[in-house]
Amino acid sequence: MSTVSTTRAPAGVGRTTDPRPRKSERRQVRERQWPAYVFLSPWMIGAVVLTLAPMAVSLYLSFTDYNLFDPPHWVGLRNYQEMLFEDPRYWRSVGTTMLYVVVAVPLKLGLALGVAMLLKSLGRGQGFYRSAFYGPSLLGASMSIALVWKALFNDGGTVPDVLDAVGIHAGGWVGNPDLAVYGVVLLTAWQFGAPMVIFLAGLQQISPDLYEAAALDGAGRWRQFVSITVPMLSPVVFFNLVLEVINSFQVFTPAFAISGGDGGPADSTMFYTLYLYERGFTASHMGYAAAMAWLLLIAIGAITLILFRTSRSWVFYADEEGR
Amino acid sequence: MPEPPNGRLHHPSRRAVLAAAAVGLSTVLTSTLSGCSAASGSTSGGVTLTFSWWGNDDRAARTEKAVRLFEKEHPGVTVRTSNGEFTSYLQKLSTQAAGGGIPDVVQLDYRQVSQYAGGEAIMPLDDLVKARTIRTSEMDKGLLRTGTYQGGQYALPMGRGITGYAYDSAVYKKAGIPAPPPSWTWQDWGAANKKIAALGLKSPDGRPFTGSNDGGGNEDVFETWLRGRGGKLYAGQSELGFTEDDLTAFWSFCDSLRKDGAIAEARDTVQAKSTETSPIGRRLAAADFTWDAPFPGYTGLLGEDIHFAPVPTTGGHQGSYFKPSMLLGIGANSEHPEEAAQLIDFLLNDQRAGDILGFSRSTPPNRKIAARVAKTLQGPEREIYDYAQTMEKYGLDDPPTAPPPGDLAIQTAFKRGYQRVMYGMATPRQAARELIDEANRELRS
Repeated sequence: MSTVSTTRAPAGVGRTTDPRPRKSERRQVRERQWPAYVFLSPWMIGAVVLTLAPMAVSLYLSFTDYNLFDPPHWVGLRNYQEMLFEDPRYWRSVGTTMLYVVVAVPLKLGLALGVAMLLKSLGRGQGFYRSAFYGPSLLGASMSIALVWKALFNDGGTVPDVLDAVGIHAGGWVGNPDLAVYGVVLLTAWQFGAPMVIFLAGLQQISPDLYEAAALDGAGRWRQFVSITVPMLSPVVFFNLVLEVINSFQVFTPAFAISGGDGGPADSTMFYTLYLYERGFTASHMGYAAAMAWLLLIAIGAITLILFRTSRSWVFYADEEGR
Repeated sequence: MPEPPNGRLHHPSRRAVLAAAAVGLSTVLTSTLSGCSAASGSTSGGVTLTFSWWGNDDRAARTEKAVRLFEKEHPGVTVRTSNGEFTSYLQKLSTQAAGGGIPDVVQLDYRQVSQYAGGEAIMPLDDLVKARTIRTSEMDKGLLRTGTYQGGQYALPMGRGITGYAYDSAVYKKAGIPAPPPSWTWQDWGAANKKIAALGLKSPDGRPFTGSNDGGGNEDVFETWLRGRGGKLYAGQSELGFTEDDLTAFWSFCDSLRKDGAIAEARDTVQAKSTETSPIGRRLAAADFTWDAPFPGYTGLLGEDIHFAPVPTTGGHQGSYFKPSMLLGIGANSEHPEEAAQLIDFLLNDQRAGDILGFSRSTPPNRKIAARVAKTLQGPEREIYDYAQTMEKYGLDDPPTAPPPGDLAIQTAFKRGYQRVMYGMATPRQAARELIDEANRELRS
């Protein structure tokens, strides 16, 4: 609540024509703004109580030995030191997560783009198929789908049986440390609906004139894809890439459900967040888990920054042309 | 989201704004509605207690039945129950503990008592015991002591359990192996498994049928093995009682049996999380290391041929011991400690509850009920009762002191360490060294 009453509108907001409004006008502006803050207040209260405050507490806990039961004691950088230099499982979880991100993100985005292009060429029924392909994204985060997935890939499940029939005798994926992680990858890739819808919107924004002109010049479909679709779509690709990378580093639910919470077999699905959860809630080392969360935040921030840096060389904004 | 490249943005139409408003309103509505239903649950019914435990289907069915009887006797008290399998139960409970939301009546593991009592997640029960709301006169003093912390009674044992070995007697007969006596050795066990594997039986999905589950990742099995050799798991609250050599020997032994195809495959071991998903439960193996309490669930699932035998020994030295199978406590923030205490007393001391629960949590702590139930016991419950008698007569070493709280994490590390052995990611010695490092870090903190 305090946010609402103490936050003042930035002085510049609301100035439209006259650069130096008189006092009464300024008051008017302020009066015109208060409803905005009232409507924003649920969000702002939520942001402070549910996000900012817990974040501050988490930062503090990451320097303590908090174990859920006893009051926390300050231990300085002990947690960070142990994580980086003494805990081999920490680095294994980093490796598993990186593998996942590197495989799952391109696969998911590739699928999303492919399906979006198919849908774009579809005239009637596009709305139906768009919803149908979007469906898994709505369901995918849920525990029940992860359990269905587990049953599909388990011993005697559909996928091993089908593979068996075509001569690939791999057995169940869930009990195989070399394959278990790919089960999670496929579950993620299957939920390509959200980036697909965004790709589709992006594709429809590309002016048909460009394609017509290219066709007149004798460009084939592939040439059109490479020279028109890819550059014109690159801002959307970039947006999806950033979002998916950020999401993928935080993969938790499917791995939790498929491994039964232990990241098994043999830590093969022990992703970063799953290990964080295990440290915090099985081993009761909340301080350590908080420190892990902060390093994850910093790492994701750094990777996002790198993506933004590289984007200058490959993302093409039509409206920036000639600037 | 970046602006679309061509900037052909339309202003949202009136209809879109209306739709958004409708969505917003509907969430407001649903949240008020759910608020209503929660409130009506506690006002019309009087007191609502929450009670959570872990265990297999058999235990769940019996516990539900006993709870429903309690509700009938205590009009106005509603008990909401929840249960799960051991590992996820513990995780959920520690999450609840962190948020101060431990159920009113909660089933605890021996390892949790000191942590939960010391962290004030469960309340002291001394006043309730003194007021005889919870009666303890018929319980063994030594067993009661397992629920104490710094002199106060924080939890009450629900049973006295012991490790054992559930096996399929029909398969043993087919392989020409006699029923395992209390003195059978680990070498006998290995030989029995090889004989069974040599029968060439097939599981329902057409895979080779093996002698037993792989106990290598099970800390309880390792402890029994270790005690049979005169060792112990912990030398104190912050020190391991075994060496890298001990663990290497144990893991090498299991590893070679599995490689010979005598015991369950790695992929089946890693998927075993309950009686139903264990190799014997999936009819992939003839036996399973387990506890006495879940044993009736095995015969319920697999039939009367399943019997209960001792864990193998080293030269006749038995490593099993009696320990509290699980305990009951009251959440520190419970709003109805009186009713919660009544439920605990009912579960532990009421004759009819005793009849319903039987031996589903091992030998009941109330002597009178144990004796009464023992008279009427049949089938698998009779068997585990007799088993406990036999083991007592055979002679067991004293139980170890209570394990340190860090054992909860070490237990999962143990399972994981052996998984690395099974999948060839580490040799038994490498994995043993890793486990000991990790365990020492755990015990230090």
